[in-house]
Amino acid sequence: MSEYLLRRFRSVSRPDSRGKTLIASRQIYILPTAQGYAFGLMLIAMLLGAINYASNLGFLLTFLLAGLGLVSMVHTWRNLLGLELSPAPIEPVFAGQRARYRINLQNHRLGPRPGLCVERRDSDPDLTDLEGVSRGTVSLAFRTGKRGEYPLPSFVLSTRYPLGLLRAWTHVRLEGNYLVYPAPGPSIPLTDSMDYTPSAKGDKGVGADDFIGLRQYRPGDSPRHLSWKALAREQDLQTKMFGGDRVERCWLDLDSLPGQLENRLSRLCRGVLDACDQQLEFGLKLPGNPIAPARGQKQRRRCLEALARFGETP
Amino acid sequence: MPRGTRPLRGNTLIPASRQELPPQQLLALITLVGLATGLHLLHLNTWVSAFFLCMVFLRLLAVYRPGILPGRLLLFLLTSTGLFNVISHYPLVIGKQGGVALLTTMVGLKLLETKKGRDLYVLVFLGFFMLATQFLYRQDMPLVILALLILIGLTGVLVNGNRAHLTRNPFATWLTSGSLLVQALPLMLIMFVLFPRFSSPLWELGIREQTAVTGISDNITPGSISRLVRSGEPAFRVEFEADQIPTQNQRYWRGPVLWDTDGKNWVAGEQIRETVQDYQVRGEAIRYSVTLEPTDGKWLFVLDLPYELPDQSTLTPDFQLVRNDLRDQRVRYSASSYLSYATGSLSSQQRMRGLQLPNNVTPRIRELARHWRQESGSDGALVNRALDYFNEQPFHYTLYPELLEENPIDEFLFESRRGFCEHYATSFTLLMRVAGIPARVVAGYQGGETNPFGGHLLVKQSDAHAWSEVWLSGKGWVRVDPTAAVAPERIERSLDIDQINEEVGAPIRFDLENSALLEVLIKQFRWGIDAIDASWHRWVLGYTQERQSYLMDLIGLGFLKGGQLVYAMVAITALAITLLTLVLLTRGKKKPDSIVAGYQLFCERLKRRGISRRSYEGPRDYGQRVIHLRPDLRDQVEPILSLYIGIRYGLMDTDSNRRQLRGLIRRFKPSASRQGQ
Repeated sequence: MSEYLLRRFRSVSRPDSRGKTLIASRQIYILPTAQGYAFGLMLIAMLLGAINYASNLGFLLTFLLAGLGLVSMVHTWRNLLGLELSPAPIEPVFAGQRARYRINLQNHRLGPRPGLCVERRDSDPDLTDLEGVSRGTVSLAFRTGKRGEYPLPSFVLSTRYPLGLLRAWTHVRLEGNYLVYPAPGPSIPLTDSMDYTPSAKGDKGVGADDFIGLRQYRPGDSPRHLSWKALAREQDLQTKMFGGDRVERCWLDLDSLPGQLENRLSRLCRGVLDACDQQLEFGLKLPGNPIAPARGQKQRRRCLEALARFGETP
Repeated sequence: MPRGTRPLRGNTLIPASRQELPPQQLLALITLVGLATGLHLLHLNTWVSAFFLCMVFLRLLAVYRPGILPGRLLLFLLTSTGLFNVISHYPLVIGKQGGVALLTTMVGLKLLETKKGRDLYVLVFLGFFMLATQFLYRQDMPLVILALLILIGLTGVLVNGNRAHLTRNPFATWLTSGSLLVQALPLMLIMFVLFPRFSSPLWELGIREQTAVTGISDNITPGSISRLVRSGEPAFRVEFEADQIPTQNQRYWRGPVLWDTDGKNWVAGEQIRETVQDYQVRGEAIRYSVTLEPTDGKWLFVLDLPYELPDQSTLTPDFQLVRNDLRDQRVRYSASSYLSYATGSLSSQQRMRGLQLPNNVTPRIRELARHWRQESGSDGALVNRALDYFNEQPFHYTLYPELLEENPIDEFLFESRRGFCEHYATSFTLLMRVAGIPARVVAGYQGGETNPFGGHLLVKQSDAHAWSEVWLSGKGWVRVDPTAAVAPERIERSLDIDQINEEVGAPIRFDLENSALLEVLIKQFRWGIDAIDASWHRWVLGYTQERQSYLMDLIGLGFLKGGQLVYAMVAITALAITLLTLVLLTRGKKKPDSIVAGYQLFCERLKRRGISRRSYEGPRDYGQRVIHLRPDLRDQVEPILSLYIGIRYGLMDTDSNRRQLRGLIRRFKPSASRQGQ
C-alpha cells in the first residue's frame, strides 16, 4: 500500500510541453547519507566538547563545519537542478536479455556538474562528470521481461557531490518506447515452409535456377556467379545470369505452427534469424499483418518488430 | 547468443565504498590527517608520539608497496600494543591528555588500516575532530591558519571523492573546497555569535589537567598584580541568592593573607597555628555560590568576612579560606558572608608577625610614621592621617609604574609616587607597622561586573587587588584600602581591560628620519599583528556570555535570552541559506539576450492577434507574411524587423540601435482587427 502511495504521489521528472525534460526544483528529493548522519554526530560531539571546555575556537570550527554541511546541501540540490535529459534510442533486444538504456545529459549552466549518477533497481549505476555547458552520456543496463513494446523505464538520477554528506535524487521517466523481441525458441525446419511460387514475370537475372546468359561484372556480384571460363579466355570479368520462374523464398507462418502463441512467436523469431543467416528471402505471415518476402537486415528487423508487437493494439 | 545482439558493456561498477582508494587520495589523506593529529606530538608522551609516527611512516611506505601492510593478526597485535602504550603512560584515559593520546593512537592505527573507499569518510571526520582537539591546547593565529589550510585540504578530499572520476588538478579541487568554506563562513559567524554560551562546564571529570593558569598567589613582588590585571580572563563567577548583590565598594573577595616581608617581596610566610577565634557579625548574611575558574592557587575567594563555609574547606586564623585539592580545575562552592564584623583580641603570635619589619626601613619612613603618631591621638586617627597623606600628596595610580629596584617602598613613598594597588597596600602596611599598629596585606579581587541577563557577577583577573588590614583595639582586624584614597574610582567601578589594552597598543612615535624604511615597516607590521591579536583575543577567544549579551544589546537583539537565542540562530541561519541559494541560482545562468527576448515579445504580441510565427520562418519571411495579412501594420513591423536583422545578423549592433529597437517593440501593440475594413 505504501509502495502504491509512493508511486502515486511521487514527483517524477517528465518531459514538459516542449518535449524537454528539465529537472525542476520540486522534483528533487534530498536526504542525508549515512556519512551525513555520522558527520552530524561528530558535530554534536565537537559542540559538547567546545561547550565543556569553553573553547571558542572549538565553537568556530564546529560551526564552520556545520555551515559547510548546510552549504553542501544547497550545492547537492543545485547539482541536479536544471539538468536536461533526453533518451538515446534503445537497441531492441530479445526477451530476457539486458537492454542498454543510454541517457543524454545536457548541462546548460556555466559551472560543472560532477558526480551525476543514474541508478535503477537491478542494474548497475553509472556515473559521469559534466563540465560547464556540455553534454554527456550515462547508460543503464536492465534485464528485459516479455516481448512487446514498452515505455522507457523510469530511473533515478542522483548525486552526492560535493561532500557526500547528502544525496539528492529525482525520479525520471523519459518519453519514448523500446522494443523487446520474443526470445528465440527452438529452430523450425525452414525447408518445410519453402514456397516455390510460380511468378508471371519471372525473376530474370535474380533467380538461381537456369543459366540465361552473361553480363558485365558489377561490383557486389557474388563470386560464385563469376564466369571463370570467360576470364580464362581473357575476356572481361563477366557474371553469369540465372533466371527462372521460381525463387528460394520461404514463408514463416504463425498458423502453421502448433502450441501456445508465445511459443509459436518464439519459434518464428528463431525462423527469422535462421532465414536471415542463410540469406534466404523470407516473409512473415501473421494474422492480419503479412510481411512480403524480402532479404537482409532491414527485413529481419521488420519481421522481428512485427513479432514483438504482435497482438498489441496498434 | 544469437547473431545481431550486441554484447553489453562489461562495466560492472563496484560501489565506491568497496573500491581501493587511489594513491592520490591516499597520500592526501595521510598527509592531512597526519598533520591534523601530528600537532599533538608537541605535548604528548614520547612513546605515544613515536607509535603514531611509526604508523604514519609505515602507511606512507605502503602507498607504493601495498605488500607491507599488516594482516589481520598483526593489526590486532599493533592495536593491543598501541592501547597498552597509552594506558601505561596515561593511566586514566578519560582526561583531556589521555583522551588525546588515545585518539592519536587510534588515528595512527586507522591510517594503517585504510584501504577502501569507505575509510575515506572515517578518516576525514577524524581529521576534523583532531583539529578541534588542537584548540584545547593552542589558540594562536598561526595554528588557526594551519587548521584552515588542513580544512580546505580535507574538504577537497571529499569533493574529489564524490566526483565520478578523480580530477588530476588539485588546485581546482582546492578552489572548490575553498569556495565552499567561504560560503560557510557567514553561517559560521551567525551560529558563533548567537549560540548561547554557558558559564559553567557540562561535566566535571575531576582530573587534574596540566595547564598554565593564572591567578593570585601567596606572594606579592613588585608588578605581580599589575601583570595579572592585564589578563581579561575570568577568575570566578558569583550567583547571589535573593539578589543580595553588595555594592561595588563592598565587594572585597578575600584571598591569601601576607605577613612576611623582606622590604621588597611580601609572602604569606609560615601558617599561623592557633584555633580560629570567634568573631562578631552584624547585619544580614549574604549567601552566594561561586564558580571558580581553574587556578594554581588554593584559595576559595569569599566576601569579607566568610561565615558559613563550603565543604572540604578550612578557615585559617587569618581568615583565608583554603581548599587543598583545588589545583587546576573548575570548582563550584557556596558560602555566606557578613559585611560588618568585629574580630576579637590579638594573639601574641599574630601581634609579633603583624609588627615584623624588614631591615631596610629608611630614616625618612620612620620620621613619617613618628610624625603621624605625634599628630594623632589614637590608632584609628593615625590610620586616617595616613590615608589623608596618600590622598593629599601627588600620588598617581598607574598600571605601568617605574620599576623600583633598591628599596621599593622608600622610593615609591618619597620619589616616584606612581604605583598600582600592590604598591599602596604594601607601603601602607609597612608604615602602619613602623607606627606600631599590627598590619598585614590581603590579596584578592575587588569588584566584578554584574551580568544584566545572567544576573551573576563576573570577577575577572583584571579585578585582582591588594589591600591592608590593621588591628585596632576594640574593633579587631579592620580592612583599609589605601588605593581607594588615591584612586577612589578604582573601587567605584571595575577596570576596563579594553581601555588598558588600547593604552598599551597606542602607536609609539617613530623617528622616521633616523630609522631605515624596512625597520619602520617591520615595526608597523608588528603593531598590526599585535592589533589583530588583541582583537582576536577580545572578540574570538574572549567571546563569553558577557560579551554575547553585550553584543546582542548592541545589535538590538538584547531581548533574546537562553533558548530564544537558539531559535534566532536557526531562523537567521535559514535566512542566510535562502540568500545563498538565490545568489547561486542567479549566478552561472546564461542570460537571454535582450534583443532575442524583445523579438520573442514581438512574436508573442502578433500571435495574440492570430499570426503566430512558424517554426521554420525567419524574421524576414515572417515579416512578409505579417504585412501580407495585416497591411496596416507595415509601418511598424518593417522598421522593427530591419533593425532586428541588422543588429543580430548585420553590423548594426550598437547600444543606440538596441535602445531604439527595445523602444519600438515596447510601443508595438497591434490592434485586434484590421483598421479601415
